[in-house]
Amino acid sequence: MSGTLRTLPWGSGGLGTQDHQRDMYLPALRGHPGFTVVEAAAGDLTAAIAETGAQVVCVCAPPAERADRIVEALRAGCHVLADKPMAPDLAGAERVAAAARETGLVCMPAHHHRFGAAVQAARAALAAGRIGLPWNVQADFLVDGGDPCPQGELVNFGLYPVDVVLALTGQAVERVHALPGRDPARSTLLLLDHAHGLTSTITVGRLHGTAGAPGMALHRYRISGSGGVMDVDAARPGAAVRTASGTRSAWHGPGTVGRMLTALHTAIVTGRPPEAGPGDALAALRVTGAAARSLTLGTPVPLDPSEA
Amino acid sequence: MESNSVPVRVLVVGTGFIAAQHAAAIHAEPRLELAGVVDIDPGRAAAASRANGGVPWFTDLGAALEETGAGGCVVCTPNDTHAAIAVQVAAAGAHLLIEKPLATDVAGARRAVAAFARAGRVLMPAHSHRHYDYALTVRDVIRSGDLGAVDMVRLSILGGWIWPDWRGWMLDPARSGGHALHNGVHLLDLVTWWTGEVPETVYARGRRQTAAELGIHDYLEMTVAFAGGALAVCEMSRGHRPASYARRDVLVTGTGGILTLPWDAEAGTVTGETGTALLPPGGTDGFATQIAAWADALTGAPPAVTGEDGLLAVAMGVAAERSIAAGVPVRVADVLEEAA
Repeated sequence: MSGTLRTLPWGSGGLGTQDHQRDMYLPALRGHPGFTVVEAAAGDLTAAIAETGAQVVCVCAPPAERADRIVEALRAGCHVLADKPMAPDLAGAERVAAAARETGLVCMPAHHHRFGAAVQAARAALAAGRIGLPWNVQADFLVDGGDPCPQGELVNFGLYPVDVVLALTGQAVERVHALPGRDPARSTLLLLDHAHGLTSTITVGRLHGTAGAPGMALHRYRISGSGGVMDVDAARPGAAVRTASGTRSAWHGPGTVGRMLTALHTAIVTGRPPEAGPGDALAALRVTGAAARSLTLGTPVPLDPSEA
Repeated sequence: MESNSVPVRVLVVGTGFIAAQHAAAIHAEPRLELAGVVDIDPGRAAAASRANGGVPWFTDLGAALEETGAGGCVVCTPNDTHAAIAVQVAAAGAHLLIEKPLATDVAGARRAVAAFARAGRVLMPAHSHRHYDYALTVRDVIRSGDLGAVDMVRLSILGGWIWPDWRGWMLDPARSGGHALHNGVHLLDLVTWWTGEVPETVYARGRRQTAAELGIHDYLEMTVAFAGGALAVCEMSRGHRPASYARRDVLVTGTGGILTLPWDAEAGTVTGETGTALLPPGGTDGFATQIAAWADALTGAPPAVTGEDGLLAVAMGVAAERSIAAGVPVRVADVLEEAA
């Protein structure tokens, strides 16, 4: 890994009680050979960047101000890893996208599940035509236990599987129908119509918590194609470990966040376009936004073709 | 109702794909006796007779009922004939186990239900999956309360092409009612039975995967929203590749937990030159269980599946077909009201 990047963590805000900076990004950054975490005394981001000479900012500012801090970091000459959602609304996400375009710097939304080894392998196999032309994806993204998100799990989790489906297939969403679960804040069913007639169906939600909580109850994708079927368990690769104290998964190799950081590092040091950028955050946000509208209306909602 | 001492004489009407399984179940059920077989095609009727020990064969149902004095019929004719045959069987005073769908439209299903109500005879639609081990297991777990209140159900029954060529009646929507009626009702009935809730809307998407020229959708995805708050995603496919593909997958989430029943949960797998397949599961024969449940009903027990269940499944199937055409959710109550 050539070139260690000075990385400034900024903010510990999130939806509800979550602190992705503390729980996800900092441990991964500290454990990754491509990054060196730097700390600042300044309470102002631009000043902190100047103080530390940071090359990368990991932005976990509270959602309401997140887009502003990302734009500020980009304008200060830093690449950005942005917690999800990158912005609470499309306008904010579009401002971020514009700033990333203008500065030419890497701005990666932390859609880390698309970087999972199983997902990446499936994506490559799909792109190579391994099952012909994909025509349907069935996905389940079900978290077991943990603190419910005050804004609802569609806002909290919805971006992840939507982003994975988009990454896997490369087919933009044209229409969204959403149905509320028994507790609408806790679970949602997304029925998406994509380009080329592809359809996808995603269950997304948080279980109340079983004996195995917290963790992923189910994270999988079944892709049907004109020449075959692909089953992707995104909880793999991993070993199941069952002991007197319970059952757990032992991950093989780098996890999704570590792999995302490697992709971020590669994009920064090589200058190649990042595997995920503001456009991907916008695409996923448009889908979850349309899903929210569909839930209100009770009918499918078309996405403006210009948004696709 | 019939007494237990003398077996009820039963006709198998229609000798196509599924008839042999019904006939075998009748032979294995001591309370029933195969009285004869009926098919409009004399060659097929004669062949079915030979396959069943030379029982009498007929090309006319009325004549068969009259000559054999049969007390029951198992009907497995093409779907568009179901309603009229059901009315004929009821008028003859015989009991009926009828392949799904009960009819290809709600009006026909209502006629069948009404005819049996008037006749005081048993009408049981053959929603055979209710009698399969996997379905009973899911129902039992849900009813145990372990999963709490059901939130989401996924039921996927996926396979490749098993139908005939273009001449297959199931490919003609006028005869089969479309795939949502032909096979979709299995799943729609099952998730309704599992949840115990009233289906409110159906939102469906379909594909003509095997050929663009198909008149039916060989792949169906039917999403049911129930009045009680549960959701169900039902996938039914005969359009998957490879053609040997065969998967059944169940997921149930609830306020108390999660149930997963993956495709390979019921048996071992075998991997050979043609790929990986499931070994035969060592469970109960669902057709035997179904025919036993029908025999129970003939001797006074409540039917395991009622005519009203069959009617509701038809309405849901019709709603699914309409939803595919319209691209929006369809209310089941609206479909039911039309033929009320």
